[in-house]
Amino acid sequence: MNGDAAQLRKAQNPTRRVFSEEMLAYGTEDPHFIVMEADIGYSTFSYLFGDAFPQRYFNVGIAELGMFATAAGIASTGRTVVCGSYGVFITMRAIEAIRSFICYPNLPVKILSSHGGITAAIDGVTHQATEDIANMATIPNMTVLAPCDSASAAAAFRLAMQTPGPVFTRLMRDPLYEVHSGAASFAVGGSVCVRSGADVTILSYGDIVIQAIRAAEQLAGERIEAEVIDLYSIKPLDRRAVIDSVRKTGACVVAENHQRRNGLGYEVASILLQEAPVPFAALGLDDTFAESGAYDLLLDKYGLSADHIAENARRVVHHKNR
Amino acid sequence: MSRERDAVLRRVTTTAREIRLRVLDMVYTVQSGHIGGSFSEAEILAALYNHILNIRPDDPKWDKRDRFVLSKGHACPALYAALALRGYYDASHLNTLRRFGSILQGHPVIKTPGIDMTSGSLGMGFPIAVGMAIESHLIGKSNFAVYTLLGDGEINEGLVWEAAQTANKYRLGNIVAIVDRNYVQNDGFSDEIMPIEPIDKKFEAFGWRVWKIDGHNVEEVIDALEAARDYGDGPACIVAYTVKGKGVSFMENDRYWHGKAPNREQYEQAKAELEGAAP
Repeated sequence: MNGDAAQLRKAQNPTRRVFSEEMLAYGTEDPHFIVMEADIGYSTFSYLFGDAFPQRYFNVGIAELGMFATAAGIASTGRTVVCGSYGVFITMRAIEAIRSFICYPNLPVKILSSHGGITAAIDGVTHQATEDIANMATIPNMTVLAPCDSASAAAAFRLAMQTPGPVFTRLMRDPLYEVHSGAASFAVGGSVCVRSGADVTILSYGDIVIQAIRAAEQLAGERIEAEVIDLYSIKPLDRRAVIDSVRKTGACVVAENHQRRNGLGYEVASILLQEAPVPFAALGLDDTFAESGAYDLLLDKYGLSADHIAENARRVVHHKNR
Repeated sequence: MSRERDAVLRRVTTTAREIRLRVLDMVYTVQSGHIGGSFSEAEILAALYNHILNIRPDDPKWDKRDRFVLSKGHACPALYAALALRGYYDASHLNTLRRFGSILQGHPVIKTPGIDMTSGSLGMGFPIAVGMAIESHLIGKSNFAVYTLLGDGEINEGLVWEAAQTANKYRLGNIVAIVDRNYVQNDGFSDEIMPIEPIDKKFEAFGWRVWKIDGHNVEEVIDALEAARDYGDGPACIVAYTVKGKGVSFMENDRYWHGKAPNREQYEQAKAELEGAAP
């Protein structure tokens, strides 16, 4: 557990690069898998693998739907395929190939999905994947991972390769913070408690974990002890960790760089309504598109900054104590 | 013509006729399924499963087998009949088509014996076949051949042309795409819904070697499939000119019979016509 935001180091590389570097390293260990790209290999960093293993790297041009359908054909023979692109193209343009021809036959296609959420801030809405988690997690057989730092992004690649069937990994455009210590371990269906507390549970994933940690520090100054959990395994979700924490704290805030609707917040709400109904808030894009602009400004405008998370935590704690 | 060749022609011709009769029975029995496109592809499937494909019906997942993807997946009644006739499963399954618990789903799924890949969303089967050919030609190098059958309406889909580019980029010498050019799709005549000619020139422009044949002439079908299989220098396309609903006078060239089931009277007339056809 780290938990002290001021001491957390800014990552040297974005998670998209960390994931691809792990893929490069794994390429020697496992000579069987191949990698596909749709002409953004220098952005997803899959080119690192392509340079090292040109015979195992297939760039099909700007054709995401074709890439996933072709990957399905390759994977139908039993071969593992990693496909890289941006989240919005993967989970929108190519979703039918992913659903009907990768997930339905449960084929080993591992998806490197960069530019999750509004971290593609300056690129504008066409390049911001803000419905990706909803789209992918809704499809049967799909595993969904969303690492928040270098350690979890590297682990996500290994987990994807070790997990049978399709795995979607949401990666980010810009460098995040090194949230996890070397002692953290990761598993499909796991989670990491990055800060313990008894008063309110803050659940998050990806780039918003650092905002949750900062919010917890603000709250600590007000004698509100927040428990912060990184739910990097969106599906399957660590239900046990969520329920146990919320039963302890009696209040819950979920914050995510995604539409509120059908995101992690909705999933947690449905679990808590059955298992541990408590004062609750879900933060995310509120049925709106974002826009171009600096990442920090967008986080603030769309209610995902540490200040917004802290404010909602105060509210649910107040509601609990009424 | 050699005696051996003669036997092949007879076997394929007989099977095509049998496929149509089975399809008619299936669709009439369950009152659902696609007759028109099943009839137009009967000779092609009969040739593939009784002469061309290197397969082992008693070992359907044999890893070196040739692959077949029915990209026009809705026309699966004919494929299901061809597989049953080839011994992949008992023919008693055929009349369970589309029913609860059947191994024969409304569109093909990979778990049915003999089905190499799930298909049915139009345009998707073609890139899937290209992926299989990439695996065979460039990755695993097990050198199985891949065949896929597309509808002419299906090539309206932009995805088809993404796949055509990919096959050309890698000069896949082990894929044969057959276009069932039956001129009719769900809503009407294909050339009125969306003009798609010149199909042959389009594929040629995308780097494919093209053959044009009468898709109901068994000899032409077999010759073209053999030539395309043996070509080897790049992707191969056969444009098979066919008749939607072929074999039943009132079903031919009529969009109504794309996806409708016959009533008793229609069934009996159709059966008489198919049975009367020279074997």
